[in-house]
Amino acid sequence: MWRETMTSGERMAALMRGERPDRVPVIPFLSGHAAVVCGQPIARISDDAEESFRCQLLCQEMYGHDGSPLYAYASAGGWEFGGEIEFPVKKYSGAVIVTRTPIQTEDDVYTLKVPEDVSKAGALPIALALARKQAEHGLPITLQIGAPLTWAGSVIGEERMMGWLIKKPELVHIVLDKVSQFLIKVAEHYVKEFGAERLLAFHGAATETNKLISPKQFETFSLPYLQRINQACLGLGVGSYFIHICGEQNKNLKFWQQVPMTKQTVISVGREVDLTTVMELFPEQIVAGNVDPTLIQEGRAEAVLAQCRECIEKAMYHKGGFVLMAGCDVPPHAPPVNVFQMVKAAREYGRY
Amino acid sequence: MADEAEIFSQLKQAVMEGDEDVAVAAAQAAVAAGVDPQRAIIEGLAAGMAEMGRLYEREECYVPELLVSSEALYAGLGVLRPLVIASGKAEKKGVAVIGVVQGDIHDIGKNLVKMMLEVNGIEVHDLGRDVDMERFITATQETQADLLCLSALMTTTMIAIKDYMPAFKTQLPGVKIMVGGAPLNQQLADEWGADGYGENAVEAARVAVRLLETK
Ligand code: B12
Repeated sequence: MWRETMTSGERMAALMRGERPDRVPVIPFLSGHAAVVCGQPIARISDDAEESFRCQLLCQEMYGHDGSPLYAYASAGGWEFGGEIEFPVKKYSGAVIVTRTPIQTEDDVYTLKVPEDVSKAGALPIALALARKQAEHGLPITLQIGAPLTWAGSVIGEERMMGWLIKKPELVHIVLDKVSQFLIKVAEHYVKEFGAERLLAFHGAATETNKLISPKQFETFSLPYLQRINQACLGLGVGSYFIHICGEQNKNLKFWQQVPMTKQTVISVGREVDLTTVMELFPEQIVAGNVDPTLIQEGRAEAVLAQCRECIEKAMYHKGGFVLMAGCDVPPHAPPVNVFQMVKAAREYGRY
Repeated sequence: MADEAEIFSQLKQAVMEGDEDVAVAAAQAAVAAGVDPQRAIIEGLAAGMAEMGRLYEREECYVPELLVSSEALYAGLGVLRPLVIASGKAEKKGVAVIGVVQGDIHDIGKNLVKMMLEVNGIEVHDLGRDVDMERFITATQETQADLLCLSALMTTTMIAIKDYMPAFKTQLPGVKIMVGGAPLNQQLADEWGADGYGENAVEAARVAVRLLETK
């Protein structure tokens, strides 16, 4: 009988070195779900570093997957720049919501301040507390460095920002500039506290989708700031990156190619983007994807397993390496057996 | 009388180009020429918005363009709507309440639906996003709405629609319920007992008008 010969840590390390591990690694993409399987409120994942770390670790142990605990949420930025958020405490809530954006009027753009001490801004104290747990446990230390347009959306309000892209582009650029300054300062802080060696810098790019903006708008408003932030991080010695390209972004891919990154970069895509396309565009990088999160919540285990198998067979021999992953955050109340199909598929069909 | 078709086409063009000033000027020209304001709205402004919706479906334009078009549309409406009302011919097709369900803050699609309902002569009360069941019920009662519109963009939150439905049926008798949002479809809408479903804002308006007519 086939057996795993590596621990999760060894498997991920091999992947990052560009070697083939014992099997395809699995990072399911769980946030709220990790709290649910531990019988905890979903909000703990984002409002309590200790509990978040604990739940994620227990969840990893239970499934046998390879994604170590991390701190990130999609609507980051609003709180850090002085707005208000609500943790997902209400029924049906699955993720953090920005309840008041820091920018309400055009004038607010000019007075918007880049927080002096980034370590005290918004969710950063929680993120840093979790990073210290990662350090303690010898795990990769993750930090969120974007994506800048998604952050700007949380600062301005996505809908207001969409209108400004056409009518007041200069205002959006001002905010993007301040957001980039902030994110670079965050990276500097992490490097100072933890050293660059073990850092893994994360971009969650949601508002960049072509369901919202055109590829041309991506080129104008996203690309320059992504380049600036990544260039700065590379300069600081940050060697590993994780880029989640959320949703429909087929027309943006050629611009993502122009973002500076290392080989130790995981490019994660949703169901809307074909793995083969990403493999062609990023031959040297690690490709991750792209099991449908809705299928994981709504489908039968057999259907989830079949889709995982299809992903594995398509991408496991990708030159840069492959991680089996959901296309986006798995809905918190997804049936655990369905989530487990990812690990099962990697063990059955993803052996090297 | 100035060529009606020409004026409609100017209004349509102004909306498609997202030009508020031109939309206002074209609306004023329509008034000066004695064109029926209701028709100017439907065949001019709304037609432009509907065309933008089609371009969006074909990925020939994107949400920023849609939003800017909707601003031009509202600017034109500002001129024409008061005249429709003053003429007494304002056939208000009905009153609707709209909102995004609890736990969900995706409201861009909902706002487009709201706008298309408004141009079709429906009075819309917008509850915003992250709206719980109680607020839907009280707002519908208070405004004596004929139509309740629910939007959900996530598989996690669309369940709220299903959960709310029994209470809506008992506490809001006679109120039609229309649902929408990316993860929904006609089949789910039927299963959950909704009266209508719309895949996009243009269809939402068509379905809403039909529901209000058959009320
Ligand atoms: C923009 C966006 C955001 C923005 C929201 C900004 C805002 N103010 O709306 C931000 C970045 C904040 C965000 C946050 C999150 N998001 Co989001 N987001 C999107 C995105 C990219 C686009 C949605 C959109 O605006 N589409 C454009 C509009 C025009 O289309 P529409 O909304 O479908 O509306 C049309 C129709 O559906 C219909 N319609 C809509 N409502 C109604 C109502 C009625 C009555 C009728 C008849 C018709 C109708 O008409 C509309 C106009 O034509 C989608 C991806 C996608 N492909 O849809 C993800 C998506 C919806 N998000 C998702 C998720 C998971 C999240 C987050 C949990 C974080 C994350 N991991 O990404 C948070 C949760 C926040 C929360 N608690 O609600 C998932 C949902 C997965 C699922 N199936 O459950 C999606 C599908 C992304 C994905 N690939 O997985 N998101």
